[in-house]
Amino acid sequence: MNTVTFPATDIDVPAATRDAIARLMMQYAHVIDNDELERWPLFFTAQCLYQIIPRADYEQGRLIGIWYCDNRDMLEDRVSSIREVNVYEPHVYRHVIGPTEITGFNNGTWATQTSYIVIRTMHDGAMQVFSAGRYIDEIEIDGAVALLRKRIVVPDSSRFDTLVVIPL
Amino acid sequence: MSQAVAARPMRDLITWPQEGFTRVPLQVFADAEIYAWEQDLIFRGPTWSFLGLEVEIPEAGDYITTFVGDSPIIVVRTAEGGINALVNRCVHKGSIICYEPKGKRERAHNFVCPYHNWIYDFEGTLKTIAFEKGIQGKGGMPEDFDKSKHRLIRLRVETIRGLVFGTFSAATPPLRDYLGPVMVEHIERTLHGQPKILGRYSQFMHNNWKLYVENSRDNYHPSLLHAFFSTFKLNRLSAEGGTRQDDKSWHHITFTKRYTDAGDQAYDSGMIRAMKTDYGLKDPSLIDQWMEYDDQITNSIQSIFPGFVLQQILNSIGTRQIITRGIDKCELVWTLIGFGEDTEEQTRVRVKQSNLVGPAGLVSMEDGAIGNFVQQGIKGDLDNVAVIEMGGRGVGGMPTRATETSVRGFWKVYRELMGV
Repeated sequence: MNTVTFPATDIDVPAATRDAIARLMMQYAHVIDNDELERWPLFFTAQCLYQIIPRADYEQGRLIGIWYCDNRDMLEDRVSSIREVNVYEPHVYRHVIGPTEITGFNNGTWATQTSYIVIRTMHDGAMQVFSAGRYIDEIEIDGAVALLRKRIVVPDSSRFDTLVVIPL
Repeated sequence: MSQAVAARPMRDLITWPQEGFTRVPLQVFADAEIYAWEQDLIFRGPTWSFLGLEVEIPEAGDYITTFVGDSPIIVVRTAEGGINALVNRCVHKGSIICYEPKGKRERAHNFVCPYHNWIYDFEGTLKTIAFEKGIQGKGGMPEDFDKSKHRLIRLRVETIRGLVFGTFSAATPPLRDYLGPVMVEHIERTLHGQPKILGRYSQFMHNNWKLYVENSRDNYHPSLLHAFFSTFKLNRLSAEGGTRQDDKSWHHITFTKRYTDAGDQAYDSGMIRAMKTDYGLKDPSLIDQWMEYDDQITNSIQSIFPGFVLQQILNSIGTRQIITRGIDKCELVWTLIGFGEDTEEQTRVRVKQSNLVGPAGLVSMEDGAIGNFVQQGIKGDLDNVAVIEMGGRGVGGMPTRATETSVRGFWKVYRELMGV
């Protein structure tokens, strides 16, 4: 669990790295919200972990949440399933992302945490706060590009409304 | 002890169609008075409801809170190692006593209502009342107030293979008699080790609770609605499998055996949406599995009346508990489990297969929406009926999954208990 780096961090983060991480956070949200899901896996390294696990389970160290992909091919399979197989009423997300806190640097990987809120809008106009929580990430910098080696999505709630077909 | 305090008698509310349990009046999914009677006659009637897992409350004083239908329940491990289930409602003003999902009472006899500090023991007995004798001789309860006449409602509790069940009714048969030998054998077979909880989440659905229960018993729909599953030949109607029931058709198991799949033209023709020949997994490790059971069953859904499901999807083992949340809402609590005996590799497989189930489950997410599709569709036509004749007009086990025999079984029991 990433702890808060209060009151000040002694982690020296190059400006270019900060920029790359900020761009990653922004663009990750935009490809999902703008329905460019085919590009969503491109924000991850080939060997990666993407998991959605509710806060209560995460804090108890449990292993299973609602979503678990341990390589980029699995992310692409999810996108195929969303596009071709799964049945759901049309809806879109709007991510609102908080500032990213950089909490550590280990083995060439930056550890960060970032709050998010996702509003879901259904085709009939119904809107609700669909999920609120945080991303706990491990990020690699490859040139000017930041990539997710690991993204653990930790929603504050264990309750999910209807279904979660689009990634958070 | 009643929800139906203002409801008219059931027989005045509804007339069941002449055809019997092959027809279901759509009114039952959208009627507040019927909903109230269901609380009394089904959830507080002669039925066993799932309350949780024994492993959640290993030590004396450990408790969880849950629901039977609408009723809030405390489940607690006693000092003697037993399990008690109490209605979570103070006899004073009706406040819930325990307001956390789980906790521990270090001292015995220590359920304290937060409102006025009335205190109960683990048997539900009212032990003390704050200011019972007043303050400095003034106020207090009347001299003749008899605490022993006021206690928490206590359910009967029984367990099977680590599953905890409770019932309100003295008329409910013992759990194993209620389940019958076919259901008992299958529960014992599925839960073959020491259960441990790997994950817990819930799915909030915008439909009447019975629409989900029907869905869990409906072995006709999976290969049609859940395209992911049938695409990979995991759950095709042509696979060897079938439906088993107890003698009274209260409960149900649907199962398939993967390796005996014979194929079927109806699927290979591309006419059924389920068959997407152009679809393929880039990483098929998702469905890596091992033969966990000697019976070669790879997929079984066991539904215990009224609202409990035990699942085996490949090696994904879990419980599902339905909680009523009003006429047109319900919540499904999923608990994914492994066993203490699992190897690391087996745990890894269970974790990976968790993608198949739950609200984001590749093969099951549609179940969270389909009940709402029905709930939307029936509006304006509550005098109409659903037609349930796939696989004939009777109940009982069948050697096929092209049948709705277990859905009819549900309505057979429903009518018996509701008196309509």
